Amino acid sequence: MRIDQRNKKTFDIYNIMENIKKLILNTVPTAVIEEKQKLTVTVTFDKLHLLAKTLKENAALPFDFLVKLIGVDRGEELGVNYLLCSSTDLSKELVLKTGTTDRENPLLYSITDLFETAQYNEREVFALLGIRFINNPDMRKFFLNADWVGYPLRKDYDANPELNPLSLESVDMIDIAPRITENEKGELVEDTVNIFGEDDYIINIGPQHPSTHGVMHFRTALDGEIVKKIDVHSGYIHRGIEKLSESLTYPQILHFTDRLDYLSANINRHGLCMAVEKAAEIEVPERAQYIRTIMDELNRIDSHLLAWACQTNDLGATTAFIYGMREREIILDIFEKTCGGRLIINQNVVGGVMFDIYNEFQKDVKSFIIYMRDKLKEYDRFFSHNVIALGRMVTIGVLSKEDAINYAVTGPAGRGSGWSCDIRKHIPYALYDKVDFKEIIRTEGDSYARYLNRLDEIEESLHIIEQLIDNVPEGDICAKVKPIIRLPEGEYYSRVEACRGEFGVFIESRGDKFPYRLKFRSPSMALVSAMPLICQNEKVSDFIGIGGSMDYVIPDIDR
Amino acid sequence: MRSIAKYFSGLFIGISSLLKGMSVTWRELWTKKVTQQYPENRDTLVISDRFRCELVMPHDENNEHACTACGICQMNCPNGTIVVTSQMIETEDGKKKKILDTHQWDLGMCTFCNLCVITCPSDAIKFENTYENAVFTRSKLVQKINHEGSKLREKKKEVKPVEAKPVVEAKPVVEKKAVEEVKPEEPKAE
Amino acid sequence: MILNYSQPLEVTNLTSWLDSTLRGSLSEFWVLLIEFVIVGALLLAAYAVIALILIYAERKITAFFQARFGPNRVGKWGLLQSVADMIKILLKEIVKINRSDRFLFFAAPFFMIVASMLTFGAIPFGKALHAIDFNIGVLYVTAVSSLGIIGVLLAGWSSNNKYSMIGAMRSGAQFVSYELSAGFALMTIVVLAGTMQFSTMIEGQRYCWNIFNGHISSMIAFVIYLISGHAETNRGPFDLPEAESELTAGYHTEYSGLQFGFYYLAEYLNMFIIASIATTVFLGGYLPIQVKGWVDFNGIMDYIPSYVWFFGKTAVLIFLSLWVRWSFPRLRIDQLLNLEWKYLLPINLVNIVLMVILVLTGLTLTDLLPGIF
Repeated sequence: MRIDQRNKKTFDIYNIMENIKKLILNTVPTAVIEEKQKLTVTVTFDKLHLLAKTLKENAALPFDFLVKLIGVDRGEELGVNYLLCSSTDLSKELVLKTGTTDRENPLLYSITDLFETAQYNEREVFALLGIRFINNPDMRKFFLNADWVGYPLRKDYDANPELNPLSLESVDMIDIAPRITENEKGELVEDTVNIFGEDDYIINIGPQHPSTHGVMHFRTALDGEIVKKIDVHSGYIHRGIEKLSESLTYPQILHFTDRLDYLSANINRHGLCMAVEKAAEIEVPERAQYIRTIMDELNRIDSHLLAWACQTNDLGATTAFIYGMREREIILDIFEKTCGGRLIINQNVVGGVMFDIYNEFQKDVKSFIIYMRDKLKEYDRFFSHNVIALGRMVTIGVLSKEDAINYAVTGPAGRGSGWSCDIRKHIPYALYDKVDFKEIIRTEGDSYARYLNRLDEIEESLHIIEQLIDNVPEGDICAKVKPIIRLPEGEYYSRVEACRGEFGVFIESRGDKFPYRLKFRSPSMALVSAMPLICQNEKVSDFIGIGGSMDYVIPDIDR
Repeated sequence: MRSIAKYFSGLFIGISSLLKGMSVTWRELWTKKVTQQYPENRDTLVISDRFRCELVMPHDENNEHACTACGICQMNCPNGTIVVTSQMIETEDGKKKKILDTHQWDLGMCTFCNLCVITCPSDAIKFENTYENAVFTRSKLVQKINHEGSKLREKKKEVKPVEAKPVVEAKPVVEKKAVEEVKPEEPKAE
Repeated sequence: MILNYSQPLEVTNLTSWLDSTLRGSLSEFWVLLIEFVIVGALLLAAYAVIALILIYAERKITAFFQARFGPNRVGKWGLLQSVADMIKILLKEIVKINRSDRFLFFAAPFFMIVASMLTFGAIPFGKALHAIDFNIGVLYVTAVSSLGIIGVLLAGWSSNNKYSMIGAMRSGAQFVSYELSAGFALMTIVVLAGTMQFSTMIEGQRYCWNIFNGHISSMIAFVIYLISGHAETNRGPFDLPEAESELTAGYHTEYSGLQFGFYYLAEYLNMFIIASIATTVFLGGYLPIQVKGWVDFNGIMDYIPSYVWFFGKTAVLIFLSLWVRWSFPRLRIDQLLNLEWKYLLPINLVNIVLMVILVLTGLTLTDLLPGIF
């Protein structure tokens, strides 16, 4: 019976995807369709926008969620890969590829009008690969200063420090954005737009500010206490991890992932390990899967506790902040005992985990579960129904479901807007298909929904751990892996549910022991990209509160 | 009328929620404080065995270590924290042999990724949980972790890895090369 | 009535002895001058000492609320921590800000400190520990304490910093609103006590504190006074002008060294002043707990010096204020104004009318149960 159903389901998927293929060929007859790890469609750059639009607007299976936008220097040509999937079923994925051979003045068409999240990503691609996007309303470089010489992710980039000397001079912020648009006649027009009006009262929230949770810079135009417009500047701590990775072996790259979103360090690392394991066809032992899942969930609780604590602190309740940190400390102690690290826990390796659980692990975790449930009740009494806190969160910073999908806001924030986007449910990995847990969805889309979602997800994570903790099987903790891992030529994707949303890894391998191109999808970047939208017309103090409820982590953005 | 009822119910619900919050802080006022009293609690402070603080090369009572100066740790280190220098000597029976001169480790650069330890073929290095590593100058962070005058421990067991590695040794270490043997560390008995 | 029992620990004897000795050998002018100087110096010293004690107490109590230990390194239990902080703040450089309005920038902290100092001087700390006893004491206190806001506004304006500016403007709105409530709450009690003079008001509370005497109405006035007083001191949950997570430090972002110290001291002293006025007006000031007819009990209570009673009652109120501060998140500006204009002010106005009715119809406790109170 079950098998029948599954067969039927597979058949359905097959059917739907066949229809999609037909649709693609109908729209763009010249498209090249390949069955790789994902269905890959290559089109010329002038047809991409049309195809993306058709795919987004088709009724049977709308591909309306732009997961990743990856710029690649393919040698001859500079190209972009778009990983699209359907917002109703995240497992229906499709890769669009396009590129241009003009390396001097590469121009592609923007899809910002279809997917808002593309805007920051396209600006990132411009900064790092030099591809300009026609019709993107704001073509300033993201991460890099406008006067940066060279495009770092190009293979012929000259990393000579003399080209980009360290400057100690104060540089004025430029609020004029260049752009390139196509008018009705099909001519390209280059012009500039002013981000702010003449008389705008602009305050700089960041890069050094107690509540930006890192080195983030929001240029905020105020009308009294009300936020009129926000302009995001990022890149103050950009470390070029993707570029660095291109000259490191896969096991060496692993330690970078802990340093992206350091609060979901273990989950990020899990994502990269999964990508490599899938590509190298390594079977992970079951014991390792158990340990990974338990550690991931502990990591999620840890992160959500910190998020809760920081959000309360942003709203001015310092005491709640300390309570959150106190509970988190217990998880950190468990991490320390398991794998010798507290924040950067360094546990996953390709093929399994680095450290086995220690003898008292089960006992410690179980007592933590009891303790944490008690504390969740206390949080509820202390803060969740406080009349001031409610006034600061309910109906503040509303993000609609459409906008959540459009801005690719995933994680507790996306689920707070009513979008079921939990990768653990849609594309189960590790042991998530074997455990029972609820995907917490609220439809209000305000700060309070995101706040409650986090607390409820802590409860769900405790529930998942409870189911696994007593059943950890005996066996190896790591599969036999060759000393030098060489991935076969191809493109590999993996997607995991990190604490702030979907974390993704893209590896393009050319058969070497180094990746040819490695890209991380950072959930925080999507969260930040939605900030200007949801903070508009809110009070400046709520801007801080909304930031706390979105809970972005800056190193995750500034890879 | 309804708006008046709403006004007062809002007032009282608000006040009761505030009092509830105050009851939580009142209870917390008397709970056990969690601050670690470092350094007074140094004697009772338990740092996990696995906690990675300092790279050490265990030496036995004869001042002998297990490092064969193969340089695999250096090659595996993602950010050039380890520099192994070796010298060629001639043993009594006339064979040429490479021995460890200095094994230098930079605490300031290390990201504690543990790759050097898990890839070491002769288990010569490990991370210790000695956590008080603060120094006054940066140059002191660069440490030589093999002891003065120490020698390679002669053991039959270790002959094998030493011979198995000449290929690796021949290559220049500048080129980053991964020779990873994922060798899961056994759980240390608590 | 007052001096029924001998009180060796009171300072009355000391002050009267000093006065008579001085008068014995000097002319009226010199006696007054010397006494003014002594009183001034003592008040200044008390100002600094109370602020230091409060800073220590706040840090310690906050820490206990937050499952921490608080300062415990400098001296036994960290007792010398605030002294160390004071020395540090005295030694720190006063940073000059480019493109700020120099004169106003330097003048602003003085407004703040002078206003709180003026109020501080009018507080009755104990028997014979009352520097000046106006017949309009309540009015005077309300009037001079509201001068402090000028310091805040000037600081925000003259710093030429956008955060400071927003903080100062918030502070202005907040202060104007809550000063109303605080004033009305005090007026309610003035109706009850029939006087504005602190000493008479205290004497009237010998057997029945004002908070009990006017029962419902007094209680409401007391709560409203505490809330609005708390709001006037710019402390959480009403710390919008500072709002460290939004405006870094609000109006005093650009201040350093002793200038910042002035704001810091004034904040703590304002908290003390609010608590002590509440003590004086509602809780019988420096008077001990007395029950009509219990002569022995009254004797024992009276034996405890009046200033201990005063500081004890004030300390309870300060603890309450700390407890509130460290339990709640910060209000937003519109919530803050809502609370005042939609809740506190209307309730307050109704409350005054209620109090007038209570007094006129003889429904206060002293009128109802003259045998007990």
